[in-house]
Amino acid sequence: MITAERKPLEEIIEYVRPFGKILLVGCNECVTVCSAGGRKEVGLLSSALQMAFMKEGKMLEIKEMTLERQCDPEYVEELSGHINQVDAVLSMACGCGVQEIAQRYREKPVFPAVNTKFMGASERQGVWSERCQGCGNCLLGLTGGICPVARCSKRLLNGPCGGSTKGKCEINPEIDCAWQLIWDRLKALGQEERYSDIIPAKDWRPSRDGGPRKIIREDLAS
Amino acid sequence: MDTFEPIIVAFCCHYCAYTAADMAGSMRLHYPPNVKIVRVPCSGKVDAIHIMKAFEKGADGVYVAGCLEGDCHFKNGNVKASRRVKYIKELLDEIGIGGERVEMVTMSAGMGPQFAKTAIEMTEKIRKLGPNPVKDMAAKRRRAVGQG
Amino acid sequence: MSMPEKEHINNNNRVLVVGGGLGGIKAALDLAEADIDVVLIDKAPSIGGIMTQLDRTFPTNNCDLCTLSPHLAESSRTQHIDLKPLTTLTALSGTVGQFTATLTTKPRFIDLSKCTACGECFKQFPECVQFTPGLDHRAPTCMRYPQSTPYAFSIHIDQCKDIDALKNVCPTHAIFDTDSERSFSLEVGAVILAPGAELFDSNELSNYGKGMYPNVVTGLEYERILSASGPTGGILARPSDGNQPAKIAWIQCAGSRSQNKAALPYCSSVCCMYGLKEAIVTKERFRDDIETVIFYMDMRTFGKDYELYYQRAKKDFGVRFIRSRPHSIELDPNGEDLCITYVPEKGTEPKTETFDMAVLATGFRIQPELIELASSLGIDVNEYHFAQTDYFHPVETSRKGVYVCGLFESPKDIPETMVQGSAAACLASGDLNASKAISDQDDEEAFVPERDISGEEPRIGIFICDCGYNIGGVINVEDLARYAGSLPEVIVAEPVGHGCSKESLEKIQASIRANKLNRIVIGGCSPRTHENLFQDVIRKTGLNKYLVQMANIRDQVTWVHADQPVEAFNKAKDLIRMATASVALTRPLIEHALEMNNDVLVVGGGVSGMTSALTLADKGFKVYLVERDPDLGGVAKNIRKTIEGQDVGPFIQQLIERTTQHERIEVLTRSHIVDHYGMPGLFTTGLQIGPRMYYRKIQHGVTILATGALPNRPAKYLLDEHQAVMTQMDLDAFIKDNSDRVKAWEKLVMIQCVGSRVPENPNCSRVCCQAAIKNALEIQKINPGIKIIILYRDIRTYGFHEDYYRKAREQGIIFSRYDTDREPKVRESGDRVIVSFIDHVLEREVDVEADCLALSTGFVADEESTEDLSRIFHLPRTNDGYFLEEHIKLRPVDLPIPGFYVAGTAHAPKSIKESIAQAQAAAGRAFTMLTKKAINLGASVARVDGNKCAACLICVRACPFGVPFINADGYSEIDPAKCQGCGVCAAECPAKAIQLMRFEDDRIMAKLNGLLEEVI
Repeated sequence: MITAERKPLEEIIEYVRPFGKILLVGCNECVTVCSAGGRKEVGLLSSALQMAFMKEGKMLEIKEMTLERQCDPEYVEELSGHINQVDAVLSMACGCGVQEIAQRYREKPVFPAVNTKFMGASERQGVWSERCQGCGNCLLGLTGGICPVARCSKRLLNGPCGGSTKGKCEINPEIDCAWQLIWDRLKALGQEERYSDIIPAKDWRPSRDGGPRKIIREDLAS
Repeated sequence: MDTFEPIIVAFCCHYCAYTAADMAGSMRLHYPPNVKIVRVPCSGKVDAIHIMKAFEKGADGVYVAGCLEGDCHFKNGNVKASRRVKYIKELLDEIGIGGERVEMVTMSAGMGPQFAKTAIEMTEKIRKLGPNPVKDMAAKRRRAVGQG
Repeated sequence: MSMPEKEHINNNNRVLVVGGGLGGIKAALDLAEADIDVVLIDKAPSIGGIMTQLDRTFPTNNCDLCTLSPHLAESSRTQHIDLKPLTTLTALSGTVGQFTATLTTKPRFIDLSKCTACGECFKQFPECVQFTPGLDHRAPTCMRYPQSTPYAFSIHIDQCKDIDALKNVCPTHAIFDTDSERSFSLEVGAVILAPGAELFDSNELSNYGKGMYPNVVTGLEYERILSASGPTGGILARPSDGNQPAKIAWIQCAGSRSQNKAALPYCSSVCCMYGLKEAIVTKERFRDDIETVIFYMDMRTFGKDYELYYQRAKKDFGVRFIRSRPHSIELDPNGEDLCITYVPEKGTEPKTETFDMAVLATGFRIQPELIELASSLGIDVNEYHFAQTDYFHPVETSRKGVYVCGLFESPKDIPETMVQGSAAACLASGDLNASKAISDQDDEEAFVPERDISGEEPRIGIFICDCGYNIGGVINVEDLARYAGSLPEVIVAEPVGHGCSKESLEKIQASIRANKLNRIVIGGCSPRTHENLFQDVIRKTGLNKYLVQMANIRDQVTWVHADQPVEAFNKAKDLIRMATASVALTRPLIEHALEMNNDVLVVGGGVSGMTSALTLADKGFKVYLVERDPDLGGVAKNIRKTIEGQDVGPFIQQLIERTTQHERIEVLTRSHIVDHYGMPGLFTTGLQIGPRMYYRKIQHGVTILATGALPNRPAKYLLDEHQAVMTQMDLDAFIKDNSDRVKAWEKLVMIQCVGSRVPENPNCSRVCCQAAIKNALEIQKINPGIKIIILYRDIRTYGFHEDYYRKAREQGIIFSRYDTDREPKVRESGDRVIVSFIDHVLEREVDVEADCLALSTGFVADEESTEDLSRIFHLPRTNDGYFLEEHIKLRPVDLPIPGFYVAGTAHAPKSIKESIAQAQAAAGRAFTMLTKKAINLGASVARVDGNKCAACLICVRACPFGVPFINADGYSEIDPAKCQGCGVCAAECPAKAIQLMRFEDDRIMAKLNGLLEEVI
């Protein structure tokens, strides 16, 4: 899932300060699952903003909505009946959702209420970690199912650096060394010999070198 | 100016705090009338939004009262509630309402005197903090409009 | 509503309960709860007994009516109880299981099915309408109390001169003069005698001027004066001039503990507590305006937590105590004041003090009609005419199948009466021919179909209780109702007096029907105690039971803000507004049910545990009896004899044999409870068993805790340091094993209250006074020349034990009182010890060299095991470590979690006899639940809105019981049968897809909105 984290309230407050009436839009996908921008966070942020402005003697009218997904035009269309009644939109979705709204409602300012962080997994309740950077050319088949691109601080492809100490990363001792994990995993699979296979220098073209990417499935595309 | 009488919402779990409140009643322990109880089955049922909304609507203080740690009728609802209260404290600090206006307290069903004591202490504390700034500003504005 | 007359023909499968006081009502309700038919008769026109005349009960100072009336209303509601007022039992033939009872019903001259208790007959012909004499004669109605059951008048036909005129005033034509006394016979399987006792008539005591001086009243009359429903409407006015008294004396033991020919030799067990209660309630209401003084001989506060009540009276309320029995009360020559003459404890000169009023704390005695009843039934009575029972069979009379509970067995307080009521019901149910062990619940309710309210706008009815003074004494209930009526969607708002009384409940039902109400708010007490009652009541009108909301304006307002009436009224408005806003959003809910487990877990293998286990196993239930020691028997194994002279040993031996050999009892010794989960009716408890601690899980539907208490052994007075010093229990064994050495003793000293009634263990251990006197008398038998001195604080030989105290004094045993600030001192002197104490008459220190010093060390709670068990089972305990029951007065056996019951000294210190009764009562209470096939899970469960669910798993991870799962459709599903209703999932769900029924977000928000309306 795409993970996100609410922006500092101060920043959000500055975004919406010029407006009298805003639409606060949550998303019922990834940001709900990572407790950053679902129906509940919408309620909390709405209440916090109301209070912050009331305390200044200012009224901010907030209309709360949560869409099934903000990254699909059909769902974003649901805002159309409300968009004209507000001065701006504050989105709690990831960057995809914010842009989808910006694209559909061109005359209405839209602001992000969360910082989109990474593609990750839940370690346990309330803890998420980065797992994938969308490099466009998956290496997991070579590395025992652990991604050196997303999980090694230096994105090294052929073993750890000299900073790997007792299985931890020199950048932050709380981060596991990805190559230690890969080694442990290969050992568990009885595939130690794969560790010595050289992974060639990564072709970053499928990643960001050619600018924004697109996927088109001819069979599905209309 | 009149002495400020805070409005305090106490979310009380059915099995401990609410029972303790009943016991404070049958023991005729006096505590300030400022405290109004909302009964919930477990302190873990208290949603962060309920606490925020209480302040938004003008409560001056809120506390969540659950069972003693380890004694929760539902195992660990009180621990969850206490984490949520901590989160709300930070949120209130961020918007300048003051995190000290919300507290988590625990007590057992038999602790009627503790219920009364908590109510007294919380009322005193909020009285010192003064009115919820949200409410204060709203009142000022109302007055201004009235005069204008 | 009238009681349908049930005519069973030739049906022995029911129980006759004689007497509709608390004990009888309790027995009848327990039987009815177990689906057994009961015929409940009472000689009075309505049931309730003495308790209905009390103002409040100790130690909670609750109003009695409030705690009793739900029971009364319940008893008339329950289908299984056939109530026959004005009826007496005149003969009983046959044997157990096949009795034929002859009953006689006096004419009421009123058709119960027509009388609405409008009071017209009483208004116009007060002389014709029956009343209870005494202070009641100015009562606002002639019914014994306003909540009477059945709710109808009765006519005194002899007093009536113009019967036709009387008949004509009745708007419903309920009065008919042709009514006559009727005798009829009834087949029953067992009989429970709960006829109560009467109060000693203090007019027989010439020295206290009762009957001559108007300001001398009895305790019960004083209760009536204090009562909101009493003759003065609750205004404390002394009878002579209606003025509020400034100084009141209580005289304890008025007519009790006395060899005076008119008086009663025994102790009535409750008068100390009610004297204290009346003094405290007076102080609570009038503070320093009234001085209260209690004259007493020994303060007998031996019940659970009663000692604390005594200390509160002294320390918090400033009640003055004078240890002396006054010689006389005389009229002050200058008016109606009273001069009380007494000899103070320290001194010989009489003193006289003047009071405005005197209250005589009179005890109980058996009235002639009960002596007659006992003889016509052929049951044995003791020398004071109380029903004789065997020590080890405390509720069984000498006639098989005839049981006794309450005052007729011996003078006692309400909790012991309730215990005996449940015990008697339990045993009586075993005598029925075809005791229905498990019944269908289909016929439970005379089923009123539920009204569909979907599509209806909320039509809210608000009913506000005054609860006597409890609410009405602090805030104006009329004004509150008027305010409530102004709230949106409210159709009616009205005060209902005692809302839980039968009369008010019917009024509420009528209003619901007449006004087509679909949401109800009760402004009254706690939903914890009364929600069930109001749910049942609205259900009977066809509304879903969850459409009611209670606003707790008593416990949370008037009881705690009585000193701020204005603020209290405003807060009451707030609470009513909150409840009203919330009730508008309530929706009808469906309840869920599961099949129940009918096995029993009994924890503790002492007398209580074994008795409970055997009682239920005999009824056909499988019982697991868990004991942590290697052997059964408990503390009682160390007791040789009772004060009455019964041998304890053979009794215990027989109990152990029966228990271990019973085919339905599985005894698990050396076993410890380590974990527990489940719900009432479907518990699972984990045990570690035996020396190898193997783990085993037991499934059971109910749990009885009989874990006992520990003999106390404080390191005081050289105990365990000097061989001459021992506890009473040690001495008991020593007498048996070393009678030769006892014969050689010259002096024996006993010290009472060692380690009891002290800050570390504040309560009285209840049994030590009788144990000390038992041992002293026994030693005197062996060694008549011995000098025995008993150093005490108060001698608490309650009930008939007083006889032994008297006998001990008559036989020369010396009783010398000590104060806690001048405790006795003990030092070594060779094989003997020297005990120094202050002689409280001589005011001088006295040294006694004793061969033996026996310490009455009593009980302490078994802190270790009650702490563990209370944690594992989530049960509350008292401050001193005993299990805390659901209601200290009315539900002394039930623990706060349904399906848990307590028996014996795990509840509080008590004697073997009292433990047996409570063990039978616990079995009886468990039996009422075990007769059910299914358990109702209620409706407070979490529900998922699949459309909103993001399948994020947060609920799956957050649920403390692991109930939610993501179903095949890809959203979270919560099985209502497994959901425990905590609501944690609802609070954590990031998509707000989960709602906990009854505590939905919109209802909680409605409460906040209601409270904070217009604040911003």
